[in-house]
Amino acid sequence: METSNKTVQLDAARALVTALEADNEKAAEHQLTILTQSQESELFHEVGKLTRELHEAMNNFNLDSRLVDLTENDMPNTRERLNYVITTTEEAAHKTLGYIDQTLPLASELKSTADKIDQSWHRFRMKEMNADEFRALSKEIEVYLPEVKQKSDQIHANLSEMMMAQGFQDLTGQVIRQVIDLIEEVEDNLVRLVKISGQHSEIKPEGNKKVDPIKAEGPQINAGDNPNVVNDQDEVDDLLSSLGF
Amino acid sequence: MKILIVDDFSTMRRIIKNLLRDLGFNNTTEADDGLTALPILQAGGIDFLVTDWNMPGMQGIDLLKAVRADEKLANIPVLMVTAETKREQIIVAAQAGVNGYVVKPFTAATLKEKIDKIFERIDAQ
Repeated sequence: METSNKTVQLDAARALVTALEADNEKAAEHQLTILTQSQESELFHEVGKLTRELHEAMNNFNLDSRLVDLTENDMPNTRERLNYVITTTEEAAHKTLGYIDQTLPLASELKSTADKIDQSWHRFRMKEMNADEFRALSKEIEVYLPEVKQKSDQIHANLSEMMMAQGFQDLTGQVIRQVIDLIEEVEDNLVRLVKISGQHSEIKPEGNKKVDPIKAEGPQINAGDNPNVVNDQDEVDDLLSSLGF
Repeated sequence: MKILIVDDFSTMRRIIKNLLRDLGFNNTTEADDGLTALPILQAGGIDFLVTDWNMPGMQGIDLLKAVRADEKLANIPVLMVTAETKREQIIVAAQAGVNGYVVKPFTAATLKEKIDKIFERIDAQ
């Protein structure tokens, strides 16, 4: 194409020179027209080429529907997932700190009463205590022993709650794994996109993946919005009992 | 009574282990997914299985199916403790023969209630 265009241009240029030398105005004008036209056709050809490239690039974008899906659905979803991680870890931290706040005074109260009784008991052993003081001491011990039981039970219960609060690590860990998977997928797709823009290689559109209804998904982020998801243990129990459990 | 706890997160295994100890079950052993759990089960001596669903390797639902399909293991009670809350999933687990289904996050009281219920049913048989 280009070579033939060049031949046309050279021929026209030579003919133009000849026509000018011969003072043939009409012929000179004709050759000039040929030259301009050939110039224009080259420009059109270039524009045409650019248009086709742009069109192909747009088509490639459309072909890679997974990339579109990633941007439209998975990215906002990931934002929600990461917010879920923040909320869940925050709740767990506050819950744990709250139980620590409740438990520390229990331990201090037990200790201070024990210290007091210990001192009195020491005085009794040294025979430094009169009968009234001893009666007061036995009363104190009588009150203290059930208190030890009650407060230790409370400490045990609080420690159990603190332990349960650590379940956040499993829940947020599952969500973070999903986010890592997504980042890897985005990375792969971007690498493919870079390859496509570098060379117009054919890419195959990904068929819609089969949806497995029982695929493990980890914690549901907006369970309330999804009627297909149970919200708490009561709903699990209801569903199971409707199945004859 | 020997209990096998299967979960890929060591923190959750620890929580369940501590809760079970509080409930009087001191003899527990652990695995981090279905693939490591199966040989332990097949080696014998496990009386009760507590498993998560979402794990790399072999998932809890497949472990449950493998247990039910194995003549020697088929009667082991299985409690699923999981964050999976889709109705289809719970139905599939029920159909696969799960004995109890606890959703995370759960309370100590819920775990106790479900375990008690499983043993009540076994005793009644």
